[in-house]
Amino acid sequence: MIRFCIWLLERALRPDLASHVIGDLIEQQERGSLWMLRETISALWHLHARPHPRGDLVLSVLADLRVAARLLRRSPAFTLVSVLTLGLAIGATTVIFSVIEPVLLEPLPYPGAERLVMVWERNAAGTRDNVGFATFRDLATQSRTIERAAAMGEWQPTLSDHGEPERVRGDRVSWTYFRTLGVKPALGRDFLESEDRPGTNQVVILSHGLWERRFGGDSSIIGNAISIDGNPMTVAGVMPASFDNAPSPLAKIWRVLGYLNQPYACRTCHHLQMIARIRPGVSPEAAQNELSGIKSQLILAYPKEYAAAGVIVGKVQDEITMGARPALWALSGAVLLVLLIAVANVVSLQLARAIRRAQEFAVRGALGASRARMIRQLLTEGLLLATLGGLAGVLVAYLSLPLLVQRLPDSLPRLDAIHVDVGALGVVTTIVLLLAIVMGLAPARGRFANLSSSLGSGRRLSGTVSHSTRAALVVAEVALAMMLLVSAGLLGRSLVRLLGVDVGFDTSHLLTLEINSTGSRYASDSSVYDFHDRVREAVGALPGVSSVAVANQLPLGGNVDMYGVADIDNLPANLEQVPFADRYTVSANYLSTMRIPIIEGSGFTAAEATEGSNKVALVSEALAKRLWPNESALGKRIRMGGESRPARTVIGVTGNIRHSGLDAKTMMQWYVPERQFDADNQEVLIVRTAGDPATLAPAVRRTIAAIDPTQPIVKIATMEDVVAASTSQRRLALALFGTFAAAALLLAIAGIYGVLAGTVTERTREIGVRSALGATPRKLIGLIVGQGGRLAALGIALGLAGSFALTRYLRSLLFGVAPNDLVTLAGVCLLLAAVTLAACLVPAARAARVEPSTALRSE
Amino acid sequence: MLGELEQVVLLAVMRVGKDAYGVPIHDEIQRRAGRDLTLGTIYKTLSRLEEKGFVASHVGEPTTQRGGRRTRCYVVSAAGKRSLQSTFKALRHMASGLDVGLEPT
Repeated sequence: MIRFCIWLLERALRPDLASHVIGDLIEQQERGSLWMLRETISALWHLHARPHPRGDLVLSVLADLRVAARLLRRSPAFTLVSVLTLGLAIGATTVIFSVIEPVLLEPLPYPGAERLVMVWERNAAGTRDNVGFATFRDLATQSRTIERAAAMGEWQPTLSDHGEPERVRGDRVSWTYFRTLGVKPALGRDFLESEDRPGTNQVVILSHGLWERRFGGDSSIIGNAISIDGNPMTVAGVMPASFDNAPSPLAKIWRVLGYLNQPYACRTCHHLQMIARIRPGVSPEAAQNELSGIKSQLILAYPKEYAAAGVIVGKVQDEITMGARPALWALSGAVLLVLLIAVANVVSLQLARAIRRAQEFAVRGALGASRARMIRQLLTEGLLLATLGGLAGVLVAYLSLPLLVQRLPDSLPRLDAIHVDVGALGVVTTIVLLLAIVMGLAPARGRFANLSSSLGSGRRLSGTVSHSTRAALVVAEVALAMMLLVSAGLLGRSLVRLLGVDVGFDTSHLLTLEINSTGSRYASDSSVYDFHDRVREAVGALPGVSSVAVANQLPLGGNVDMYGVADIDNLPANLEQVPFADRYTVSANYLSTMRIPIIEGSGFTAAEATEGSNKVALVSEALAKRLWPNESALGKRIRMGGESRPARTVIGVTGNIRHSGLDAKTMMQWYVPERQFDADNQEVLIVRTAGDPATLAPAVRRTIAAIDPTQPIVKIATMEDVVAASTSQRRLALALFGTFAAAALLLAIAGIYGVLAGTVTERTREIGVRSALGATPRKLIGLIVGQGGRLAALGIALGLAGSFALTRYLRSLLFGVAPNDLVTLAGVCLLLAAVTLAACLVPAARAARVEPSTALRSE
Repeated sequence: MLGELEQVVLLAVMRVGKDAYGVPIHDEIQRRAGRDLTLGTIYKTLSRLEEKGFVASHVGEPTTQRGGRRTRCYVVSAAGKRSLQSTFKALRHMASGLDVGLEPT
């Protein structure tokens, strides 16, 4: 930095002056490069002598810069609008690119990351399915394309010593997990093969963040035991701070799986994800072919345990970002449109200025300024404006990126790697330079085309070239704004549709939370049930609580817990082809608490909901239809899960609920009393209240803690918050699209207004003549509005075509609305027409008020 | 009558005394007046004052601390002091009888 400053100063200043200033700068260089830059600019500004016309290039550029800066200062409104427009657009572009770069484009931070793939079982629907351990083991050991493979499954342990009991997100992984990724613990050691066995797997590895936060960064815990779910487990190691667990971003603690040599490792359970490092030079497609072949062999050996042939192999990065990718690409498209509009707007503003300054340049030309010299002056002006816009954009990016990252879903990989990075800044710089060229040259073309006419015509400027360019720019702006508005409208209508769906239960007046029952005192299932009963009784006694239920999972809570449901008296040949439905193991009053209707038969009575009585079940209407399309479900005998599971009698059919999301496609659920199923050590408590459920949260928390203070209570939220959270990604996408569309609309309005206002100013004389010859104000307004209307109509027509072409890329983000939804298209057309008409009216009214006498005198 | 910057810079040069070049002048103004002027502004003002004969300058020795560059040190001339006096006098006359805290004492 200092060298650059010295270089500049030595060239620009008188040698003696330069020497003093540079001396001062060197003496004070510890004040930092920002100070240095400021001093240099100030010294150049204040001290530099006017250069000789044919002098040093640096000097004449400096002179151009001074002129440009002075011009910008003299028209603050123009400068402010341009810099703000550019700043917001460049800032928004930088922000979106800063998110896309690490999440979608940058290789994952592992050595040889391009060889890391996920392997899925292909299910009957042709989509991805998790693998069972036996399948994982067979694929991994028989494959020649896989160098190393690992399995991982979700784990939510409770940490009970070193502070308050806390439930954390973790993963159970095969001992090869970190070795497959190619990373090593920073402290301690990795898992050992000998630990990956039933009984010996009491070993964990901590993330650096969890280790610092909960264990105070104490390295003495390595090799020692900590209490996890009430059991002592040895801390083998701590991962480095730089380790980014991209395949499972929420996991902060890892336990070794312990499935090796396990006699009952299953093929039909799909609870593990398989990650593999393929050998160098092997493509994912080749691996997929080889693994599909191995699976075909497995199907021959185990015909009843696989639903369909084939596996799906994809690069880890593509697989983990699959959900977010369409939205991110759509957003980057939207932000590019905004950038285009902003550029069009600034160029259009420049053109308007160029028309006003045509005479100045004509005079310069007449006095002998070469065309190249004038273009350079214009380029300098454009460069300065674009630089200011770029700087404003960087500022906007730095301020808004953290706000956006905060609202991105936690499960998005590589969130920590998002920052306004050099790549994004490079893009900004490139954009700025291109803008400088566009802005510098666009006016120049218009100008030289009518150089002599400008000189000859004095104040009455024709500027037809500039005019048609500006008109074209306005048409483009309207078209681009139209496309953004249609996108935002489609997303908005999707959200309205989504929030309007019937979730199948009454979401009002419900407080939900997760309770835990881990540790040795809950070793037996009955102790867990008893704990639930005590909690339900105590919470139910609180004033304002009308009923309390327990379930293993919450609708719309983001849980996935599905079992295959088979009709025992009508078993299919391959059990894997039975329908999979959401498991609800519940207290007897769950359905009445949630207000899920019983359509046929009856719900559970308290007497039925005990261990000893006959095993009973309820199925949702969708599941009943799927299993028995033409018969009543009542009295049927079904089995959930594998062959070892007991038969249960269907005693009722419930209404369907939306479980996986408001946009859930399948709504198959089954319900059994919790005492007739294995106990879970994490349950959801559902409290129906008379008043505002949120106000009861502290009392409920206190009541449960009084029963067992060692168990963490997490995720306290009203059901309405849970529903809202399930749409948060859509809301975010809508908010961003909405902001972009609003910005685009404003810019388009400003563009139309600017063109028409310019027209009225330039045609004052003509309008005056028309008025003198008897044109009524109505006719004059019609003249101007007609001009604006033609531009808007053309823009809208192009925008419609563009929308038809582009909105289909939004399809995966829409719900209940077709990409070419007529209501949205018509609404946006009307909105744009109305708004552009309003923008036309102000200049039109001015035209109508033109006094013929003043207009004619204006020459 | 002196401009405001000229007054501030002149007073700063007098306050610094010996070795009044860019950096000490800047620091003095920042300390006393709380204004963070740039060196460019200061040198520009000084050269205007020098043209008017209100300051004189001499070139100091080059030092390694300054990358071998010399300092240019300024002193306020008698004309400079007179000009300050007449500026303040004019200000006091203008302010007399007004409640602006500039009454002659």
